[in-house]
Amino acid sequence: MVELPTEEFVVNMGPQHPATHGVARLILTLDGEKIVKIEPVIGYLHRAIEKVCENRTYAQCIPIIDRFEYVTAMSCNYAFSLAAEKLAGIEVPERAEYLRVIMLELNRIASHLLFYGVTAMDIGAVTPFLYGLRERELIVDLFEMTCGQRLTYSYNRIGGVSRDIPKEFIPQTHEAIKIIGAKLSDYEGLLNENPIWLARTRGIGVLPKETAIAYGVSGPVLRASGVQYDIRRNDPYSIYDRFDFDIPVRYHGDCYDRYLLRLDEIRQSIRIITQALDGLPGGEIRAKVSPNFKPPPGEVYSRIENSRGEMGIYLVSDGTKKPLRVKARGSSYNHFEVLPQFGTNLLVADIVAIFATLDIIVPEIDR
Amino acid sequence: MTKDELKEYVSTHFDGKLTPLDTGRYDPMFQVKVEDLLEVARALKADKNLQFDFLCNLAGVDTKEHFEAVYSIASISKNLRLDFKLILPYDKAEVESVQEVWPGINWYEREMWELYGINVLNHDNLKRFLLPDDWDQGYPMRKDWDAPDFKRMPEF
Amino acid sequence: MTGKPVLFIELYGLFHWLYEKLQATGLSQAWVNIITYTALGLAIFTLLALVALFLVWWERKISAHVQQRFGPMRHGWHGWYQTVMDAIKLLQKEDILVDTRDRLVFFWAPVICFVAAFSAYVVMPWGKGLIVADLNIGILYIMAITTFTVISLLMAGWGSNNKYALLGGMRSAAQMVSYEVPLVASVLVVVIFVGSLSMVDIVKAQSGLVFNWYIFRIPFGPIAFLTYVTAATAEANRTPFDIPEAEQELVAGYNIEYSGMKFAMFFLAEFINLFTVSAIAATLFLGGWNGWAFIPSWLWFLVKTLGMVLLLMLFRWTYPRLRVDQLMEFAWKFLVPVTFANLIVAGVFRYLGWYW
Repeated sequence: MVELPTEEFVVNMGPQHPATHGVARLILTLDGEKIVKIEPVIGYLHRAIEKVCENRTYAQCIPIIDRFEYVTAMSCNYAFSLAAEKLAGIEVPERAEYLRVIMLELNRIASHLLFYGVTAMDIGAVTPFLYGLRERELIVDLFEMTCGQRLTYSYNRIGGVSRDIPKEFIPQTHEAIKIIGAKLSDYEGLLNENPIWLARTRGIGVLPKETAIAYGVSGPVLRASGVQYDIRRNDPYSIYDRFDFDIPVRYHGDCYDRYLLRLDEIRQSIRIITQALDGLPGGEIRAKVSPNFKPPPGEVYSRIENSRGEMGIYLVSDGTKKPLRVKARGSSYNHFEVLPQFGTNLLVADIVAIFATLDIIVPEIDR
Repeated sequence: MTKDELKEYVSTHFDGKLTPLDTGRYDPMFQVKVEDLLEVARALKADKNLQFDFLCNLAGVDTKEHFEAVYSIASISKNLRLDFKLILPYDKAEVESVQEVWPGINWYEREMWELYGINVLNHDNLKRFLLPDDWDQGYPMRKDWDAPDFKRMPEF
Repeated sequence: MTGKPVLFIELYGLFHWLYEKLQATGLSQAWVNIITYTALGLAIFTLLALVALFLVWWERKISAHVQQRFGPMRHGWHGWYQTVMDAIKLLQKEDILVDTRDRLVFFWAPVICFVAAFSAYVVMPWGKGLIVADLNIGILYIMAITTFTVISLLMAGWGSNNKYALLGGMRSAAQMVSYEVPLVASVLVVVIFVGSLSMVDIVKAQSGLVFNWYIFRIPFGPIAFLTYVTAATAEANRTPFDIPEAEQELVAGYNIEYSGMKFAMFFLAEFINLFTVSAIAATLFLGGWNGWAFIPSWLWFLVKTLGMVLLLMLFRWTYPRLRVDQLMEFAWKFLVPVTFANLIVAGVFRYLGWYW
């Protein structure tokens, strides 16, 4: 019996590829269908945001930081405003805090709905993509009503928010989250118990707890591996300590858990929004910040819980009206870095499933 | 442990290798000497009361007088956060890689090398990353570097 | 059947009348045969082209309504001639040819696919008396001809000189060959009871009551039907078995490098294959053209076939996709034992006479 020699061949996945969410490139070394080595290559979307921000005033940086992670643009400019407020010690009025929380949680739901649609589409079921986006339209309409934009909002400002909500906002939000809560059970019914879905996601791409922490993985991916860590609870910012919500955790760390966890998180976000809408006070929406905003020299690393994980802005000020250094830290950077650690027992289809459930957004990686 | 207690603890333990600075506006900020980096990193991770096992961020900074490498770390189990920085002179910008302590820092160090020119010793993969593979126009994030077609607007 | 009008509605009367008219013109028998068969070939070709166009439009509408949107709406009422427009567009596209392709193989792959798809319709019973040639190996002939598609996919994958296409071609060949076994075993269950491979005999055996349809003959009928539908979905390369054309993984698999008319051939051949497997399901399990007499038999056949097509389309837009090794595992470790067991049970029933 002669052993037929086989050769490994190198396949390039990306940068233009329907399954990598954006322009990310994976160089896969395949032995037949099995993957032997994964090498991620980035840099196709490098826009030098950090260098550009060094030549802009703090207020001018906000629309630029929006593009850092455009699916959850509210979190991006919130992180930046938070960092600037911490530097200058600005006290944000109550109403602004509540509005910020509502917008952040709405954005989280929108991002998770997009995740649901895109993951289902990558694994082959095309229809949930349309369902997820249909619900996301409800939220995006709310954003359009408030700040005029559907994707890159630039809603937060240093010291508060830029505009107050119109009077249709509150009833329409209640309506929207009621519909989304009801549709969630539809989504779960469509995919959760489906044997094909289970075969494609259960037990695939297990990320052990220690690897996750060692590689700086955060957010739903970390919580699906069994670590109960959420910056909203463990390192609270804004007024999250006033709301009553659970942090869902799952323990298997495979694709199925990551998928289920994000659906759980949508429910928790709905709880937070309901409580925030009920408790919304009146008042100012922005603290008095001079147009010539010059924070005292210092530095701060402020981090928030984005829908993908930990988003951090490291801001250094030297007393002038332009920041000395803005470093934006996105969670997808670490998630992309941890991809080669997923083991060698994978097929090409598994990489697609893992990539989808890690919820990687490429602009966060390349900035 | 509150932030002040943490600052107290860290300053007194670790042989004083971490000296507190007061530039940090939210979390405690320390300064570490370049040659002590690996030891301090290992100790911070191994300490039973701290267990700093999560790396949040590594940023290179170019204040116009020197380079800095700022490490932001966190402890998942103890809910703690601190930052520390290394001051690197322009002519001798080198750090050791702390990959063995926090494996996730691999890509951060690579980026810092690529954009600032801060050399990282013992790094296994120091190659072009965000910039094109044939980039030869210097280190973009340095303060004295401008793109060839950049025109500075007048101040207002 | 009484009277000419009924025969004309049933269409076979029309064809017989045309044939008699042709013979009456006094040409030699050879010429009459040539003209007849050429005309029949063209008729089938036109009909299938129309069917393919219709199916493409229908798929777009069904998928759109499942996804809560409208689908094509502009070209004609609800976009009915959208496919014609698409075909014209594909016809006038540049035929991009990769320099390093294997010329012969690259050229003939879509041709073989197309020809194989169409050749199956020689024995398709469209209605009472409406069959081009009632071969006594009917269903065996169809099974054999549709296997040519495997060769053409392999040729497409190889001839493109492209790693992705090759992967797609390999996967599709493995998939189609594996699913042939349960497909044929399910079909054999019906053949055991009919006692003949001829399509006309199979349909005749289901005449009479609706309960004569093989799908209702417990216990082996429904099982054979279900395994047939599963294997047929795999043979037609539809989701959940559409690994060869998994857009999200390999960017269209074996037909990456094809553009213009060659791509159109693969595309239309896929829909013709879909129609073929649905037609076979309708013939073998749902009674073929049998039905209440007030609707002509060819209409019954179309309704049943399109019902099966609808079922397969709904599968595509609901289910995720199986991974390639799971697909093979499912075929060999589940479907093959089940279909063989079913076959044995059916054989025992036949032998003992426990059937009606």
